[in-house]
Amino acid sequence: MSLQGDPESEVLADHTEPPRATAWIYEHSPRTVWRAVFREDNFFLVLSVFIGVLSGLAVVCFRYAIDWARLYLLGTGVVLTPVRLLLAPSLAGLVISVLVIHVFPRTRGSGVNQTKAALYIYNGHIPFRTAIGKFITAALAIGSGHSLGPEDPSLQIGASLASVLGRKMRLSRDRMRLIAPVGAAAGLAAAFNAPISAVLFVIEEVIGRWTAGILGSVVLSAISSVVVMRWFLGSESMFRIPAVEMTQPLELIAYAVLGVVGGIASVVFASGIGILRPAFKGLPRWTQYFQPAIAGLLIGIIAVLGAPQVMGAGYEYIDQAMHGQFTWQFLAILAGLKIVATLLSFVSGTPGGMFAPTLFIGAMLGAAVGGAERYMFPYLTISPGTYALVGMGVLFAGFLRAPMTSVFMVLEVSGNYSIIVPVIVANTFSYVISRGLQPIPIFDVLTRQDGLELPSMEELREEDILQVEDAMQPGEGPVLDAEETVEKALQHVDGTRGEDLLVRLSPSGWSTVTRDHLRALASDGKASAKLGPLLLVPRIPYLHPDLPLETALRYIERWPLVPVVSRANFQQLEGVVSQRSVLDRYREFGEG
Amino acid sequence: MPEVQEQKASRERLSRIRLYVRQRPVMLVLLTAVTVVFFVFVAALSRAYRDQQRSLGNRWYQRGVADLSGKRYQAAVTDFRAALLYSRDNYTYQLNLAEALLGMNRRAEASAYFLNLWDRQPEDGLVNLELARIAAQKGQAQQAVRYYHDAVYAVWPTQQEIQRREARLELIELLLRSNAKGQAQAELIALSENANEDPVQLEVLGDLFMRAQDYEHALGEYRLSLKADGHNAKTLAGAGYAAYELGQYPLAEHYLQDAVKQDPHDSATAERLKTTEMVLRMDPYRRKIPSSERGRLVLEAFATAGQRLQKCAMPSGDGADPGGTSLSDQWSALKPQITQRGLQRSSDLADGAMDLVFRIERQTSLSCGAPTGPDLALLLISKLREGNRF
Repeated sequence: MSLQGDPESEVLADHTEPPRATAWIYEHSPRTVWRAVFREDNFFLVLSVFIGVLSGLAVVCFRYAIDWARLYLLGTGVVLTPVRLLLAPSLAGLVISVLVIHVFPRTRGSGVNQTKAALYIYNGHIPFRTAIGKFITAALAIGSGHSLGPEDPSLQIGASLASVLGRKMRLSRDRMRLIAPVGAAAGLAAAFNAPISAVLFVIEEVIGRWTAGILGSVVLSAISSVVVMRWFLGSESMFRIPAVEMTQPLELIAYAVLGVVGGIASVVFASGIGILRPAFKGLPRWTQYFQPAIAGLLIGIIAVLGAPQVMGAGYEYIDQAMHGQFTWQFLAILAGLKIVATLLSFVSGTPGGMFAPTLFIGAMLGAAVGGAERYMFPYLTISPGTYALVGMGVLFAGFLRAPMTSVFMVLEVSGNYSIIVPVIVANTFSYVISRGLQPIPIFDVLTRQDGLELPSMEELREEDILQVEDAMQPGEGPVLDAEETVEKALQHVDGTRGEDLLVRLSPSGWSTVTRDHLRALASDGKASAKLGPLLLVPRIPYLHPDLPLETALRYIERWPLVPVVSRANFQQLEGVVSQRSVLDRYREFGEG
Repeated sequence: MPEVQEQKASRERLSRIRLYVRQRPVMLVLLTAVTVVFFVFVAALSRAYRDQQRSLGNRWYQRGVADLSGKRYQAAVTDFRAALLYSRDNYTYQLNLAEALLGMNRRAEASAYFLNLWDRQPEDGLVNLELARIAAQKGQAQQAVRYYHDAVYAVWPTQQEIQRREARLELIELLLRSNAKGQAQAELIALSENANEDPVQLEVLGDLFMRAQDYEHALGEYRLSLKADGHNAKTLAGAGYAAYELGQYPLAEHYLQDAVKQDPHDSATAERLKTTEMVLRMDPYRRKIPSSERGRLVLEAFATAGQRLQKCAMPSGDGADPGGTSLSDQWSALKPQITQRGLQRSSDLADGAMDLVFRIERQTSLSCGAPTGPDLALLLISKLREGNRF
């Protein structure tokens, strides 16, 4: 939108601007600065840093809690005893179900949708109890071996802390709505040790739009939380990244195959949740006490039968897969078993996140596809480690349907930008296949199953936006020149249609005049006078064809005709919009 | 009434405090205090957590070390993996895990760990040495040489000189196996410059120089070794062999005789001594022999060459002169002139006869394999006279 032609802003600029030196002294006086800090928009930024620090601290505690739970429930070694493998997740499941049903009822699931609901439904309100509940139940679940991850709970813990702070600071409703995503970004960034991916994910999946007002706060909180997390847990990346290599462009085909496989796996995983979750929820209420325990027992059986890798978040096994420590056949089996284990844990209502399982499945699938391709085409210099890395992004794009985050996540985790082409190729295939076979993204599926109607970020991203050019029409009458005389102008309009006429001002700008006014000027004896100084309206706003059509709504009520001009030459008229043309376009759009 | 007023005043005071506390600057101060307290709490928690992790990691590491030294590689791998759960980036744990994996012959996994360790400490001698060994086993000679070089100049935690020397010896072995004799000689010269006076080490060096066909340096090392231990049969034999290869037959005879004296059962050395003695005895060009003796030696050599020609069926045309006359025909044509008297009379005839003998021995060694006995001696004399060493 251009304000160059807005007469109101010009008037304001003329009458309210104080002399420069006085203004500078006023703006930099300690009192003004002090007040400015506590003005809500600035205070929100300060608060974002506190949210980041507190979320970072909370996530560090959460990580410790998970590790301690694992240590005391499963044991200290890598080879675990069958008794513990079977009992730990089952008994923890029983405790978790009692806690979730009686003490912390809002802690079920991953936490992403709850944060979205806080933004769109509850005006940013997330009870602090939810954070406590999520902390305890998720730590117990992940530590005991349920196939879930710590990222989404961290996201919800961060959002909940932010919400509490916002309430205590008595923020306005608008700011309160935005505070949950700020905390969510902090929690996710600390859990994932990846601030860029966390910011992108929150923008892509929770807020759904890029606005300057929120972006600064989200970035600040994410960075502060990562700084705190690294202070305590170190700055090492989650995985030892193998040497990334792609020597032949032909390998891109192999990555495309990985994208296809990943897309199909994403659909299987998402469909499983879509079908099983309501089925489990529909079972009699008393069964809910046993669902997490039975899920835990089944996961324990999988572990006892030879795949303990499916238990917990499984980051250490992702690391091992990246370094070629499993055969491709076993990697494929692990990917399948992890899907089963995660389905069991998640649909039973056990609190915990889906990020880590998604990354696990993706890494195993990627390394399996890479290994199989190397077996079949030995002349390709395929490194299964690179495939595991790309595979993580593939599942992220296909299952969580966050394509931009998926690309940046791999780049951020690997710290290697040479992997970008394979990642984009594979993720695109995965995303397109997943969208084609499973039109509703998993987060939207979960929201609808919970009886909520939250905006779909994917639909928002792909929504058609009406632009000014969609409602633009050619002007009916001629365009007059402010430098010509009234008589000449009357000659110009003679024999043409349209009551309102546009006038091109010199050296730039636009105005409007009616036929009646022109005739009145002529009859008042001003026929030989120049038109410009005699205009009733000195200047009217103008638009450009690419602006959103909603911009036009601000002007069409006041001005019967709004000129649409070229961005290259403001004197060149592209067309006009009127109230009628705009409303007609909206009506057509609404009718589909 | 005063009580009511007091209550009212108290309520007002409380309300004023509440209002004051709700002001943003005050809230910010409180928030800072809460954050600091939380930070201190997490720091304490973190210390407890780290201590526990360190203790657990160390416990598993100790078990792993015991298993590794007992060559129970599978158990050691499990132990070190468990240790790494508690200290993922611990260099020592990773190094030991990689060693255990190597013990299990899981080279790919070990290699991944070693490469990771190399990224962190490219100057680590052991990591470079293990990577060199893995590369050598994979047949990646160039990469192996690079890692061996890094190991030679790397930092070793203990016995640095010995470890470097061992690494260089492995590198030389690899180069010799790869037939890169020139590179091996260069490494050997560098090794010999830093060698001490241990006769065993000097003997090993001499042997390696021999394998690298640097006989001069080999002889030097053997001689140095003999200064410290002059009765070592192997060193004496080595010195004899080196002198023999250099064509220094009198010196070779001296060392070989001593070697055989020290170890009469060493048949190979005895055989070499026999050949050396034959070379010295059969050489008609040696100094200070009367012309009659020289003639006799030429006659003997001519007859030996004739017998060799008869035994060796050469393809026609092999060794023929520009006129197309075969060696056999040349020998037959010259034979009537080769008499004691004729040879004493004309030194040119003796030279011509010996020239034919040398050509016959060389050609037959190409066509019928390496000669033995007097034929070998004549071949060696021919090479000695023409200054054409192997």
